[in-house]
Amino acid sequence: MAERGGGDRGGFGRGFGRGFGRGRGDRGRGDRGRGGRRGGRRDEEEKWVPVTKLGRLVKDGKITSLEQIYLHSLPVKEHQIIDTLLGGRLKDEVMKIMPVQKQTRAGQRTRFKAFVVVGDNDGHVGLGVKCAKEVATAIRGAIILAKLSVIPVRRGYWGNKIGKPHTVPCKVTGKCGSVTVRMVPAPRGAGIVAARVPKKVLQFAGIEDVFTSSRGSTKTLGNFVKATFECLMKTYGFLTPDFWMETRFSKSPFQEYTDLLAKPTKAILIENTES
Amino acid sequence: MATRVLSQKEQDIQMMLAAAVHLGARNCDFQMERYVYKRRNDGVHIINLGKTWEKLQLAARVIVAIENPQDIIVQSARPYGQRAVLKFAQYTGAHPIAGRHTPGTFTNQLQTSFSEPRLLILTDPRTDHQPIKESALGNIPTISFCDTDSPMRYVDIGIPANNKGKHSIGCLFWLLARMVLQMRGTIPLGRKWEVMVDLFFYRDPEEAKEQAEEEAPVAPDFGAVPDYGAMVPNDQWTTEQWMPEVGAAPAAVPPVAGVEWTAGQG
Repeated sequence: MAERGGGDRGGFGRGFGRGFGRGRGDRGRGDRGRGGRRGGRRDEEEKWVPVTKLGRLVKDGKITSLEQIYLHSLPVKEHQIIDTLLGGRLKDEVMKIMPVQKQTRAGQRTRFKAFVVVGDNDGHVGLGVKCAKEVATAIRGAIILAKLSVIPVRRGYWGNKIGKPHTVPCKVTGKCGSVTVRMVPAPRGAGIVAARVPKKVLQFAGIEDVFTSSRGSTKTLGNFVKATFECLMKTYGFLTPDFWMETRFSKSPFQEYTDLLAKPTKAILIENTES
Repeated sequence: MATRVLSQKEQDIQMMLAAAVHLGARNCDFQMERYVYKRRNDGVHIINLGKTWEKLQLAARVIVAIENPQDIIVQSARPYGQRAVLKFAQYTGAHPIAGRHTPGTFTNQLQTSFSEPRLLILTDPRTDHQPIKESALGNIPTISFCDTDSPMRYVDIGIPANNKGKHSIGCLFWLLARMVLQMRGTIPLGRKWEVMVDLFFYRDPEEAKEQAEEEAPVAPDFGAVPDYGAMVPNDQWTTEQWMPEVGAAPAAVPPVAGVEWTAGQG
């Protein structure tokens, strides 16, 4: 097996590849700094033409908060929806760029897998994983996927309901691959007691204090980060006595705004899109 | 059996019996057991048509509850249901899909045929399994005609019926369409619907060709002269009728009136 970076015929960023092999840790830290800065791509956002019904409603301002979408379990297919609803509060961070290779008869074909965590430090997190031939494309794709997967995080108290909720409501655990991550409620001031990777995710979630415990091969960052994400997903899946009251069902936004949605969008194409 | 006038429900059930809607399959899915009356000696399960009728009503109520009928998609991959589906859509305002369901129509927003319906109506959960899978991902409630051996996974309202025979499928869609129109108020309750059930039945291509051939020789007859000749004796008969009625009028009037009358007839 040729050494990494030795597959010169592979082509993509030879020097790049070698740089990776050596300074992967440094690279990661460097990326973290880079991830915070956002490119000024304003014109793309303005030209958004929604394709889905949900997109149309969000663009027209009929849906004002993500919680309405969560209430009716509506699948989010356009990342601009999240952009419009969470706007400037959303921050993203590249957790890792992992080069993955495939063997071809002309050497190795390297692609880059980007793990991006997105969140407003107040109850919403998203995780996106994307593999692409170039790092920048991978990061961009991963940010979009992260926005599509934004999830609400339930926070609670350790004891004595004073002030705002600051920790997890109960002990929850998430598993991905061999990695299990367990989160335990902690008193105020404890801070996030976790490894570097889940700490980042929990900060984005808006959790201030928590004790964690992990098991399995946490070295595999992909699984580690997915496990904490799954753990956070479960916080709203846990039935506690405050959910015992009967649900009062409300109309789905598609039913409420059915007249608005029935109007055909300005047909740029000759064919009329089905409402 | 009953010599008194049958209620609408009983008439419907009589029609369903004639169309063999009550004959299920040889196998029975455990979730369809509640709709089966009994198993015949030769293994065929008999469906309780009273329950079928009630499920049809329930489905019709759901269909009527959708404000915009264009948001309903009626689908059939099988040829036996295609004509029924098209006619149903024509009369209720829904959107028909006959033939192959392109995977991704409800989930892939980049496709040109992407649509987000509010309700899905299918003829067979087994052959139309792809739209069922996609509707589960897109929060779309599903109504389907289920035979005794049909899987009920992800089907929200299953109407127990025979979905194998062409008369059966046509009859069911006709009944469903009529119920929907009655509930909406387009058709008054109790009265017969002037649209025939036969319109919803599947026609084999050879059958359709035969019918077209039958209709062709009939058309020229209307233009043929002999028909007008046949009408002449009628003409004389009417003038005879008119003459005693128009007693006070001058003699010129009756023939004139008679001529005008036949012009009206011809």
